[in-house]
Amino acid sequence: MHSLSAIEIRDKFLRGEISAVTIVETFLKRIEKYDHEVGAFLAVFNERAIQQAKKLDEKRKAGHKLGKLAGVPIAIKDNIHVKGELSTCASKFLTNYRAPFDATVTRLLEAEDAIIIGKTNLDEFAMGSSTENSALQKTRNPWNLKCTPGGSSGGSAAAVAARFCPLAFGSDTGGSVRLPASFCGIVGYKPTYGRVSRYGLVAFGSSLDQIGPFATTTADAALLMEVVGRHCEHDSTSLDAPQEDYLSSFNGDIKGMRIGVPWQFLEQLAEEPKQVFSAALEKLKSLGAEIVDVDLSILKYSIAVYYILATAEASTNLARFDGIRYGQRSARAKTLDEVYDFSKEEGYGPEVKRRILLGTYVLSAGYKDSYYKKAQQVRTLTIQQFKGIFQKCDLVALPTSPFTAFEIGAIKDPLQLYLEDIYTIAANLAGLPAVSIPEGFSRDGKPLGMQLIGPQKQDVRVLKAANAFEKVTDYHKALPELAK
Amino acid sequence: MNHPTQWEAVIGLEIHAELNTKSKLFSSAPNRFGDEPNTNINDVCTGQPGALPVLNKEAVRKAVQFGCAINAQIAKFSKFDRKSYFYPDSPRNFQITQFDEPIVLGGSVVAEVDGQEKVFAVNRVHLEDDAGMLKHFPTFAGVDYNRAGVPLIEIVSEPCIHSAREAAAYGMAIKAILQYIDASDCNMEEGSLRIDANVSVRVKGEKGLRNKIEIKNMNSFSNMELAIDAEIKRQIHEYTNHASRPQHEIISQATYRWDPEKKETVLMRRKEQADDYRYFPEPDLVPIILTDAYIEGIRSSLPELPLQRERRYVSELALPAHSAFAITLDKKIADYFEEALKLCSNARALCNWILVEFAGRLKDTGKTLIDSGIPASHLAKLVAMIDKGTITGRIAKDVADDMMAAPGKDPEQIVAANPDYQPVHDQGEIEVLVDKVLAENMQSVVDFKAGRDKAFAFLVGQVMKLSRGKASPQIVNDLLNQKISSL
Repeated sequence: MHSLSAIEIRDKFLRGEISAVTIVETFLKRIEKYDHEVGAFLAVFNERAIQQAKKLDEKRKAGHKLGKLAGVPIAIKDNIHVKGELSTCASKFLTNYRAPFDATVTRLLEAEDAIIIGKTNLDEFAMGSSTENSALQKTRNPWNLKCTPGGSSGGSAAAVAARFCPLAFGSDTGGSVRLPASFCGIVGYKPTYGRVSRYGLVAFGSSLDQIGPFATTTADAALLMEVVGRHCEHDSTSLDAPQEDYLSSFNGDIKGMRIGVPWQFLEQLAEEPKQVFSAALEKLKSLGAEIVDVDLSILKYSIAVYYILATAEASTNLARFDGIRYGQRSARAKTLDEVYDFSKEEGYGPEVKRRILLGTYVLSAGYKDSYYKKAQQVRTLTIQQFKGIFQKCDLVALPTSPFTAFEIGAIKDPLQLYLEDIYTIAANLAGLPAVSIPEGFSRDGKPLGMQLIGPQKQDVRVLKAANAFEKVTDYHKALPELAK
Repeated sequence: MNHPTQWEAVIGLEIHAELNTKSKLFSSAPNRFGDEPNTNINDVCTGQPGALPVLNKEAVRKAVQFGCAINAQIAKFSKFDRKSYFYPDSPRNFQITQFDEPIVLGGSVVAEVDGQEKVFAVNRVHLEDDAGMLKHFPTFAGVDYNRAGVPLIEIVSEPCIHSAREAAAYGMAIKAILQYIDASDCNMEEGSLRIDANVSVRVKGEKGLRNKIEIKNMNSFSNMELAIDAEIKRQIHEYTNHASRPQHEIISQATYRWDPEKKETVLMRRKEQADDYRYFPEPDLVPIILTDAYIEGIRSSLPELPLQRERRYVSELALPAHSAFAITLDKKIADYFEEALKLCSNARALCNWILVEFAGRLKDTGKTLIDSGIPASHLAKLVAMIDKGTITGRIAKDVADDMMAAPGKDPEQIVAANPDYQPVHDQGEIEVLVDKVLAENMQSVVDFKAGRDKAFAFLVGQVMKLSRGKASPQIVNDLLNQKISSL
């Protein structure tokens, strides 16, 4: 059962072929058996999940209407609030912090009878591309336990890839859903900025953050979007748009769709990923899509722009973690300044400190104009360039990452790690919807992902094209050894 | 220099007014003063991770109302910014304010200074959220976040104020406008109206501005006047006594606070270098976009403003400009006046009783006429009794004392119940007094006959004095006229 899709599991439950308790127990058993190897979860909600499953079984028995996600277990990245449970953000600072309220996505999931099965590991405060920056534990890639699952939502990606649950949520600020989805051979989706409420997501870069789903199929990802992709009054940046209908458009027909590829930007791409990507484009062509060359030269600045804007926002977003109101307060501190200094010194890991310093610097008097303001201008140009390109094509295709999953500890230079996000960051800068779907494997058996990026608000178009590709490929059906 | 130097003060005020909205600027937590600490709070006001600000439309409306009331330009596009600084009363360690694109630009305020109207220019008005409050205990400090997130407008004047009196007049005019449009409670003691003054001095004729001193902690207009005066004197004294040193060293930028006990400004901290607040646009909020229709809707539905009411009192009630200005300064007092006016048409007398007689009696009680318990109808009755000659002006003052002592007691009953308050109408009784006064003040009679009207008033006064204020003024007048003409 564990290799079924969420929709298949839900339908079995709705038809009465299986109980919610059995579903939950199946996945909890898998977590118990394998997660000591993978390390996807920071918290597993054994009792809570079983209790919810029992209630759901009773609800079905009583003949009450059941939700779109009835009986489906889902994992949540540990920077998204589930009321009453810890939200550690994989930081020492918040090891004692219990969420005082439900995130909007949590509320919407439970309203549709999903069962939250646990909270997953991440790079501390979602800052990283490998989940190695978690202050709490290592997470390994189910396809190759020596490797990272990517990041920052590595725990959620690994959990779905290992079939510990059919669905998970992550957050994507510069690629943190798409990159681990690519490394773990599953579907990862970053919606249009504002499509999913950020209420209850611990902010990293507020103007870039989006919560997004992980699934083993595009249909499952679409189903989650139908549940959570709606306006939210608690988030001022939430799109004032009605909920979209995704699944009914999944007819596999992308004939005549123009897909832009910025070949010039891909010159540096290594031979193997280039071949896999080209083969995927051929598949799209065979479906009747037209591949057109587009100029996205502005993308060469995207990493620089991103690490200025994201860290600037983060330096203020994280200022609230000061040891005064919640979280860890240093036991050594005797004065107010010491509470600030020692609590931060002890509470934050090196990458978080590095980014707060960087963000503080780029906003400082004398530097703000040459860094922060300049970066904002380039961001505006990026948005404009995409707008221009989408006059010529319907979607843009890019590899999700220039690499496959790398070994834990292999990349020591943080700047080298920042380059992981080279293809994913632009969608965040421009607020665009973007999906990563399995597009093949490297010779050493590691998954690769293809990214499809659409114009703002065209979430349905992006997932529809991904679904058409998925219909004629088998990559998403492959299972890592521990899920076979 | 051979002649004494002529100094000029240059003052700018930053007025923070808490808006009296139901909920806070960015959350649904109640905006209420005086409750138990940390009861009016939620996830936004305590800066919980994952919480997001949502703008209160009522606060925007009140800010726009104020902007319209001072004839300012309302920005159709304005935005919020993060202002970073670390302090425990700031729940996110950044304040959400408007840095370079405020909601209100320019505008002006008319106030009366020493009987003269003066127009003061406003630079800008912006929206921001208030901080919590630190409370110090013997072994620790606590933070009360009830105030955190309360909506504020900061009203920044141009440096167009040149004396402490002008500063107070401007401040009171701003307060009056805020009260008339019901935007703020303006209670300086509770901190819902807080004023910081930037003060510098220069030699008259000098073009540039010298270093300024910011004064905080002035919780009343009278304290503000004292503080600014003291600071101006201090600065002039410093410049005069250290004339040989470079100007910028004599007074360097700093923040002072007013010490009401010592009656002097006291140094809080020096500003060695400008604070770096690292302003940047608040990404959790979208810009405020206002339409012309929205702005015009607010402009056209503004209530009567203090200046309009003052002008109306002058033209319709023939009040002297100064009285009209004074009585319209506090909306509640002006409303009280109008209520009394419904029962008694003697506007000047009512105004005088409110601004002089009762204000004087209330001065040391800390109360105003509004919360004294004396209804406007009683004031109207008191003045009407004087006008009808039922009581004399002198007796009315005693009746007013009784009204103060027993608020709510009808002045007509007070007069009826007290034989001492019945005026003497007995012609014979008064005639005795008139004769006595004439006999003792022949010089005044001579003066009056020589054309000095004041002498007659003096004689009336003497008779009233002898009667202990009880003689009917009409009878006294008549008798005096008769007797003098027959002399």
